[in-house]
Amino acid sequence: MATEYDIIIIGAGPGGYEMAERASHQGQKVLLIEKAYLGGVCLNWGCIPTKTLLNSAKHYVHAKEAPAFGVTTGEVSFDLKKVMAWKQEVIETLRGGVAAMMKKSKVTVLNGEAKLLGPCRVEVDGTVYEGTHVVIATGGSPFVPPIPGANQDHVMTSKEILSIDEMPKSLVVIGGGVIGIEFASFFSSLGVKVDVIEMLDEIIPFMDKGQAKRFRAALKGTVDFNLGCRVTAIDGHDVKYVDQKGEEKSINADVVLMSVGRSANLSGMGFEEARLDFDRRGIKTDEQMRTNLPNVYAIGDVTGKSQLAHSATRMGEVALNTILGKPDRFRMNAIPWAVYSMPEIAGCGLTTDQAKEAGFNVETATLPLMMSGRFLAENGKKGQGQVTVVKDADTDVLLGVHMFGAYSSEIIWGVAAMIESELRIEDIQQIVFPHPTVGEVIRSTMFQF
Amino acid sequence: MATEVLMPRQGQSVESCIIVGWKVNEGDVVIEGQSLCEVETDKATFEVEATAAGTVLGVFYPDDADVDVLKVIAVIGEPGEDISGLRPETSVEGETSDVESSVKEQLVVESTPSTSNIPLPTKSSGSTGASPRAKKLAAAKGVELDVLAGTGPNGRVIERDVAAAQGATLSPAAKAKAAATGFAAPGMGTGIGGRVLAADLSEVAPQDIAAAVAALDFPGAVNEIPVRGIRKLVAGRMLDSLQNTAQLTMNTSADARTMLDFRAKCKAAAEARGVGGITINDIMLFATVQTLVDFPELNAHWLGDKMVQFEDVHLGMAVDTPRGLMVPVIRFANRLTLKQLSAEAKRLALAAIEGTIEPDDLSGGTFTVTNLGAMGIETFTPVLNAPEVGILGVCNVQLKPVMGKGGETQFVPHIGLSFTFNHCAADGAPAAKFLVALRQNLAAFDVLLVK
Repeated sequence: MATEYDIIIIGAGPGGYEMAERASHQGQKVLLIEKAYLGGVCLNWGCIPTKTLLNSAKHYVHAKEAPAFGVTTGEVSFDLKKVMAWKQEVIETLRGGVAAMMKKSKVTVLNGEAKLLGPCRVEVDGTVYEGTHVVIATGGSPFVPPIPGANQDHVMTSKEILSIDEMPKSLVVIGGGVIGIEFASFFSSLGVKVDVIEMLDEIIPFMDKGQAKRFRAALKGTVDFNLGCRVTAIDGHDVKYVDQKGEEKSINADVVLMSVGRSANLSGMGFEEARLDFDRRGIKTDEQMRTNLPNVYAIGDVTGKSQLAHSATRMGEVALNTILGKPDRFRMNAIPWAVYSMPEIAGCGLTTDQAKEAGFNVETATLPLMMSGRFLAENGKKGQGQVTVVKDADTDVLLGVHMFGAYSSEIIWGVAAMIESELRIEDIQQIVFPHPTVGEVIRSTMFQF
Repeated sequence: MATEVLMPRQGQSVESCIIVGWKVNEGDVVIEGQSLCEVETDKATFEVEATAAGTVLGVFYPDDADVDVLKVIAVIGEPGEDISGLRPETSVEGETSDVESSVKEQLVVESTPSTSNIPLPTKSSGSTGASPRAKKLAAAKGVELDVLAGTGPNGRVIERDVAAAQGATLSPAAKAKAAATGFAAPGMGTGIGGRVLAADLSEVAPQDIAAAVAALDFPGAVNEIPVRGIRKLVAGRMLDSLQNTAQLTMNTSADARTMLDFRAKCKAAAEARGVGGITINDIMLFATVQTLVDFPELNAHWLGDKMVQFEDVHLGMAVDTPRGLMVPVIRFANRLTLKQLSAEAKRLALAAIEGTIEPDDLSGGTFTVTNLGAMGIETFTPVLNAPEVGILGVCNVQLKPVMGKGGETQFVPHIGLSFTFNHCAADGAPAAKFLVALRQNLAAFDVLLVK
């Protein structure tokens, strides 16, 4: 049987559909298989819907804070139905955009559940499709730990909580990672009593430790953080946990969000039978995203390498370049990340602790975002935020930038460019930043060394 | 501007090529792409083409010269151009010392007008500089010569090194590290778009890294030995022999009691007799030669379209020397007495080991004997010294159970014989018959002596 496609991609998330578009652009005949919606978790249950909700929350907060900036508003209220409708409209618009992009790129999109039969062969609903290359981009799902009571209706994951039709009065967030913090920020800014219970001694594991502490302080009074606490059971609406001192405690909440992490989608797709090499963290790949099976690649969350949409996209590009014979590798050292909470958090490269652990002779400098005239003007004197720059003292090379505060997520890409270029602090000092911007504080911090 | 013609690199493993013959002379006008000479590696012959049109100003190596790859072998330019700066610092006539060559390099630098007004980075220690063309390209493209790993003679930076370096952009951190350490930059790095990052710079030259990567399966220090000289010759002959003949080996053994007895007697004989030095090997050579005269089809050369049988036996004798395997030839071995044969074998073996042997003594064999018996080898498959038709491998002496006349078991010393012959030239039966005759002659060696 003749090969029908050059590349078969399983999963149409930001890893899969972006790769499909680029591959097609390079003259490859592409089959894209998706069992649910185009756009994957990112577009349908992740990045995009949460940003839509958070934006509405920001409007709400800004409206309430407006009098301090000389704007008088009437009574400010939050219409959850309308917010949810707008969220749905955004999702559907973008979904349509991806579909149009696939059509324009002449990518064949197939709706169904794929099964890997081996290198080159994928089955969907009883039909076998052959492709010279197969790319697994099946993503991940919220991980629900086996805690007693976790199966109740009011115990939700990020997927269900995006479709609530009524505001809870109180919320317990189990797991202080990116997802937990974003929802904590969303609900707390709308007046919901929020408690975060985190097993580790700090929220957001890849965040600069000092900044995490300051970030928590910025949320004081709106979110209660219970760190180093282990949830033992959810008894009705009571979330029971053991705190750092070993004392048993309990928090009552309308809704419980389970956001302890995500796991790779590995089952039910014939991976084991096809002898694909994977463990519970994900499919094992090399720097070119090749798996142990010839011509079979894996990208995105399913690899367990990095659970970020833009990582998945980049992995897809690396896989495509590898297929096309262009040298490329998935570099992990300059992947920016962002949390769209209020205030926002973003980072790229090594934190102080990570750099020290890696054996660098570390030097850091920190400045508050209040250094920026624009930041003060827009956020007021209570505006929270700072920039920390980490450098290798021996070579003057930039190792990382970590920040929180307004606009952080929009600024951080520049740091990725700096780190990818292996720029030294003295090189960055020569880059011109526009004035007045919040990003300027990064430049100013470079002059603190 | 004169153009250098380099001995091309034909794959990673080729260290040098032999110029088979020049097709042009100094003063000839050539066009670009015209064949200048034919060169050969141990694997293939190919042609070196003119890299530019012009007059052949210099031909630096004669025919048959073995020239390292990437050495300048000729120069093409305008008549009257000064090419003294391009002439290789070492030539086949004689190696100049390092001091002299570095002095010459200095002269090369000073005598290059095209780059004299361009400030070039100072040479890092250990470098032997850059070719004029490399410097010109480097100046034009803003490539720093200092950070390049030269692939020319003695690590000299040549044009293609600069061209390769153009593809690689060094990150600011990598540039700083290169300047501080003098480490060479690879053609492509691991950073964005192949950018060379600081971590890509290492003390080891990029081409060595490639070799090291190739050797990753073999952790630990490696010793690379270029295949040259006798090794190259032996390798070529052995492969040629195995590829172009239908050789097979027969194994047998001969009753060694008589010869061992005889040897013991020689050893015990009065010194004045001069037979104390007769060895088992001498006895084997003698027996082989005396047997061979009755088998002219095995004392022969197979030349494909004809066979040449020899009336006399010129016996090749494999000798292990510090420089490798050598096969000196005992001329007219069939006309020598055992004592003469022994003396001649000793003379040749010593000369081979000491390296004083005449080239004429190393060719012209009609049959070869190779002896591994002293090393305890029980059987082996000697490789024919083509075009010879036969080679006898002599193995060790072992006790073999033999049924005595009364039905009792005796343990009799036997010497192992492994005879390889070319089935193109001879069939199995005559070859086996030769071994039968040799066995008989060895078993009754004393009788052979009175023959």
